[in-house]
Amino acid sequence: MSREFRPAIGSPASPEFGERSGEKVELHIGLWKDGRWSYLYGDDTAYRAEMPDIEAIREAAREARTGELPDVVQGPVINAPVWTWEIPLYFWFGGIAAGSSFVALACDVAGDDTSARVARKVALAALMPSPPLLIMDLGRPERFYNMLRIFKPRSPMSMGAWALSAFGGLAAAAVGADLLGREREAKLLGGANAIVGGYLGSYTGVLLASTAVPVWGRSRLFLGPIFVSTATATGAAATRLALVATGLPVGHPTRNALGTVETAAMSAELLLSIVNERRLGPLASGLETGRPGTLFKAAKWAVRGGLALRLARKRGGPGAHHLASLLYLAAGLMFRYAWVGAGRLSARDDRAVAEMHRAETHGT
Amino acid sequence: MSEIAIKRDDAQRMGFFTDTTVCIGCKACEVACKQWNDLPSDGGTFRKGGSYDSTGSLSGNTWRHVRFVELADAGGGVQQDELPDLVATAAANGSPIDVQAAVAAFDNWVFMSDVCKHCTNAGCLDACPTGALIRTEFETVVLQPDVCNGCGYCVPACPFGVVDRAPEDGRAGKCTLCYDRLEDGLEPACAKACPTDSIQFGPYDELVEVAERRVGALHARGVEGAYLYGAADAPEDQLAGGLGAFFLLTEKPERYGLPAQAESPIQENVVPATLAAMGAGLLAAAGVAAAFLWEKSR
Repeated sequence: MSREFRPAIGSPASPEFGERSGEKVELHIGLWKDGRWSYLYGDDTAYRAEMPDIEAIREAAREARTGELPDVVQGPVINAPVWTWEIPLYFWFGGIAAGSSFVALACDVAGDDTSARVARKVALAALMPSPPLLIMDLGRPERFYNMLRIFKPRSPMSMGAWALSAFGGLAAAAVGADLLGREREAKLLGGANAIVGGYLGSYTGVLLASTAVPVWGRSRLFLGPIFVSTATATGAAATRLALVATGLPVGHPTRNALGTVETAAMSAELLLSIVNERRLGPLASGLETGRPGTLFKAAKWAVRGGLALRLARKRGGPGAHHLASLLYLAAGLMFRYAWVGAGRLSARDDRAVAEMHRAETHGT
Repeated sequence: MSEIAIKRDDAQRMGFFTDTTVCIGCKACEVACKQWNDLPSDGGTFRKGGSYDSTGSLSGNTWRHVRFVELADAGGGVQQDELPDLVATAAANGSPIDVQAAVAAFDNWVFMSDVCKHCTNAGCLDACPTGALIRTEFETVVLQPDVCNGCGYCVPACPFGVVDRAPEDGRAGKCTLCYDRLEDGLEPACAKACPTDSIQFGPYDELVEVAERRVGALHARGVEGAYLYGAADAPEDQLAGGLGAFFLLTEKPERYGLPAQAESPIQENVVPATLAAMGAGLLAAAGVAAAFLWEKSR
């Protein structure tokens, strides 16, 4: 990146005002004219001190920064995330889109072209509300296009913005190809979309994990898998309901397979969530208290309810299956809200934040 | 890792050394910062039973903040809710401030002028998706307000709770180490305004040396608890790779709301988290395909 370092010339309202002289502005570092008086402890003052032993200084810092947490933590230590309701809702829609793209690919692999077409439409439909939601949450929505100003692999938000754009383009193209009856192109585009969908469904977990918020940061190995599970389950559930609505008969292999996928993914999500909560111990406080805590609990019960309905499938008719799919979709939505809300609570829990940084091993 | 950075051959790293042992809590730095950078007030109130600090904390509109650390006994260790109710005390004495009691309790006051740390491994800079946050030729971290779209990712990515989104503005805001003044050879407004030189500004290497000498002098005078937060550490103890704005403290870091350890959360977590997520993604895709193929073969 280059910057203009040459000084401007001319006075306001003169013709040359704003033009550059061509000379470089002098850096005052050697001088820092008025800054120099700052040296309270300079050699020519009564505060002059000898250079002490560096090891003693390092030891003093080590002593203060290790050991027990003091009784009082005077926060705030970190600032709470500023994201509002749009973000978890986007996570949910984005997850459904990603999950449906997996389903579309699987349908193609299994040779069920009709269902694949529906799944591709579901992916596009679920994606549509995502960009507006994300733009609404920005502090300066009119500058949303700055998200695509640079490509920054280490920033999950930048990669996510690119993945979302790519997914949107591919999903629209795939549906377009379907409408034009170009089956081969639609399949190819759908396959590519599933690959992008793999990132779209999981990066949100990585994004939350890459923060200083204890409940997110300390779940770094779990958040990605949990979010992928939610995406797969909700995507499969939404596609399943869409297929039923378009007249896929009972007992069709695709319908059965989607039921299995939903149940397996939601079980995985439930299991991972419970293991992670145990693992976090006191750092999980955000997931156990307040509104996020209630949502988290409700989500887990919704999953259990869905599982019970599925296991009792011998007795329940198709209605029970549809109810289970709806329960999974609702559970996914509640999980998303719980996770984002938990981060806000966790960031405000000054003791938890301080405790996380006192712990011997940093990271997981 | 590549950074979005401005390079200039003859520039060097500049920083702040904030010596809390000489801070008198006058908040002149806060005022100077707000004036120079044209920042609005966050609104000032005394937190009942909490603290005499009336300006809250660092935020999108407050880039310097003098934190009041009130140790109800000089040894510390009193809970915040045990501190006297300031409003009730003032009412009982018929005056807003009991000067004599305040002077008698002088040892119980610690002030710390908090500011952006201009980390070597800056979490905000790693997080920023628009490239609004950049590294300048002075190795400081500056947010370009004309690029920022207020996505808010830098807020939880800062392990020090510095950068925040200003609600009425919509963009994130934080200390620029007065980048505009530096370019013209002026020291930052807060350092210029500080009447006790608690805030010192200068080339980083020189400042670290000054700070080390100061700690040595304090140790020699019997202030055993004095230490540097964010500079002069051994490489394995560094905070976020070393802080461009570092502090001389006398209490444990958490008393000032500072973490005992810190690292850019992105540099710490993004690789393991991405690997776990990608692994799960592959597994999920394979699982979905397997379920379909199994149902088909039945």
